Amino acid sequence: MILDALYVDRQVVGRPETEAACRRLGMPAETVGSAAEVYAAVAAAQDPIGRGKRVLYLTRNKGAFVKPCPGTRHYRCCGYKILHVGTFCTMDCSYCILQSYFHPPVLQYFINHQEMDHELEQLFATRAVHRLGTGEFTDSLIWEPWTGLSARLIRKFADQDGCVLELKTKTVGIETLLDLPHRRRTILAWSLNAERVIRAEERGTAPLGARLKAAARAAAHGYPLAFHFDPIVIAENGEADYLRAVERLFAAIDPGHIVWISMGALRFMSELKTIVQRRFERSQIVYGEFIAGLDGKIRYFKPLRMRAYRALAAAIRAHAPEVCVYLCMEDDEVWRHALGFTPAERGGLARMLDEAAVERCGLKPAGEGVGPVDS
Amino acid sequence: MASDGLWLEAEADRFISLADIDRSDERFRITTRRDSGDLQSSIRRFGLRTAPLVLPADDGFVLVSGFRRVDACRGLGRERIPARVMRRDASAYACALLAVAENSLERSLNPIEISRALNLLEQHVSGGKLPPEDAAGLGLPAHPAQIARLKRLGRMPAEVQAAVLEGALAPAMADEIGDLEEALGIALAQLFRRLRPGLNKQREIVAFLMEIAAREGIGPEQVLEQAWKGCEGSAGDQEDRNQQTHCLRQCLRRRRFPALAQAEENFHALRRRLKLGEAIQLAPPRDFEGTRLTLTLSFETLDDVARLRTKLDELIDRRDFRTLLTGKPRGFDGTSGV
Repeated sequence: MILDALYVDRQVVGRPETEAACRRLGMPAETVGSAAEVYAAVAAAQDPIGRGKRVLYLTRNKGAFVKPCPGTRHYRCCGYKILHVGTFCTMDCSYCILQSYFHPPVLQYFINHQEMDHELEQLFATRAVHRLGTGEFTDSLIWEPWTGLSARLIRKFADQDGCVLELKTKTVGIETLLDLPHRRRTILAWSLNAERVIRAEERGTAPLGARLKAAARAAAHGYPLAFHFDPIVIAENGEADYLRAVERLFAAIDPGHIVWISMGALRFMSELKTIVQRRFERSQIVYGEFIAGLDGKIRYFKPLRMRAYRALAAAIRAHAPEVCVYLCMEDDEVWRHALGFTPAERGGLARMLDEAAVERCGLKPAGEGVGPVDS
Repeated sequence: MASDGLWLEAEADRFISLADIDRSDERFRITTRRDSGDLQSSIRRFGLRTAPLVLPADDGFVLVSGFRRVDACRGLGRERIPARVMRRDASAYACALLAVAENSLERSLNPIEISRALNLLEQHVSGGKLPPEDAAGLGLPAHPAQIARLKRLGRMPAEVQAAVLEGALAPAMADEIGDLEEALGIALAQLFRRLRPGLNKQREIVAFLMEIAAREGIGPEQVLEQAWKGCEGSAGDQEDRNQQTHCLRQCLRRRRFPALAQAEENFHALRRRLKLGEAIQLAPPRDFEGTRLTLTLSFETLDDVARLRTKLDELIDRRDFRTLLTGKPRGFDGTSGV
């Protein structure tokens, strides 16, 4: 992590976690009374989004640490729970929705872990299956070098039997995690993409081969794995690139280690388009055949999504017929066309994923345990 | 802004020779009109009611205001005219203020004239920034962003300025065109002068051109040329502007959204095969994203309703209609591969 500035919220000054983080970062910190001061410093930059990737704000999470994924009623949501440990990312993907999600986006790391622990204990006490992940508002592993957060979470999840933690990343920084006693309660997950897309659109991320190599090492240390082909970028002659990525995935990874594989086509809030045009002048990603989806987000024209998913799903199934493959935020029509069934036919998407977690991660929920059938 | 009396040589007009006015010097010109025929008629009948404003120079006079009046007098064969002569030590900014005031306080300035006025004033004002009170006094915009946009207009190619003057191009659109390569800007200005599409259609055309060019890795002017050729072929010169505009937009849209456009055509073809008549309208989900189609029935009498019922019963049995609702792929699909 290359930082230009470090700000510390006055409310967390002196806390042991704050002291430890500052010590590990080894750079001078400026104490601020409110986030507005940090936002003002970031917003004043010529490229506030780029600047926000080099400014870290240590603060407390004033809301919930565990929150439901913000799905919409128009498309099938997986019922995943976000473990909100921080925001934004040091890598720079052209399509990253976080660029337009926060105003302005800035690296925030939440220090009040006692409150997070309390929320997790409450969730663990339900002894039902819950899937949590830290990779929704940030990359799960960028914080690891100077916080040890993931290691701490892995140990914590290893002490219970109902919940599974998914750490999703585009990095290869797993060295410190490999020898931890994880008890398969943590899934190490990688976002995958066609090599061409990674090179053109995912600045500062690990190449596909490196991600797969890291995944193979994680599997060798007993970690369950997950992969997310998301966002799929639909372009002329692009299908072959994705099929090659699938080939490389299964050349590196035994399907028996994989809990699930998701697919999601590129989708974004309309504000992102101008950001991409401004910050990534050479990117062609916003010039696809997009329409406005039912949730207001910009999406590829439906038959194009269907065709892309279908081809990719067929390739995945050819290698891994037993692995749970699912679509992120799509409707039943797309599911049926791409995968041949709707989630409701298998008890709902949440249940499908819960069952995969139980089976592959060895969860032992109390009673019924797995999540409800979704509508 | 001070009273112009402070900058005048004398209260009374002075007769000067037209030959002493350097007409090639247009540094203070605001007005965009070049003709002076109407003024000649007026001056012939009523005389020159307001004397032009001039600044003494080493060799004659520089015209500050009254360009069309001077041209009209010259056209009438006059040799001498009354003029208001400014003091030789009047600053360039004072001249600019008066040049603008004599126009802006007498009539509404068009966007190009406002642009000229702003550029002229900011060129000569001390510190380079027009005082808001001067802008307000002259009836000029005071908002910095608006000023910046209007100033830029005056520096654009003549073809773009002409399109704005004709009302074929809104100043906001001209500003967007100003971001493009000059040759493309000129081509678009020429196109919009010819077709006269509304602002939204202009924006759509420009967006399509730029996005197709970005995606295909070719120049937007090449996309425009190709699309326009396609329209000339199908619409011809005899078609009116609206038809040509429609043709161009459709051509660009098909290229920008080929799968969607194909699906729309497939849907329309299927709808035609169903022969629904005017009383039944069948609409697809917006952009084919949802799964719900819309059927609209129009009727006045019970007999109409009975006829519609029969028609709907027939429709349910039509294979095309069932395909549209349940077929795999659905009726609209038929798009090219990814």
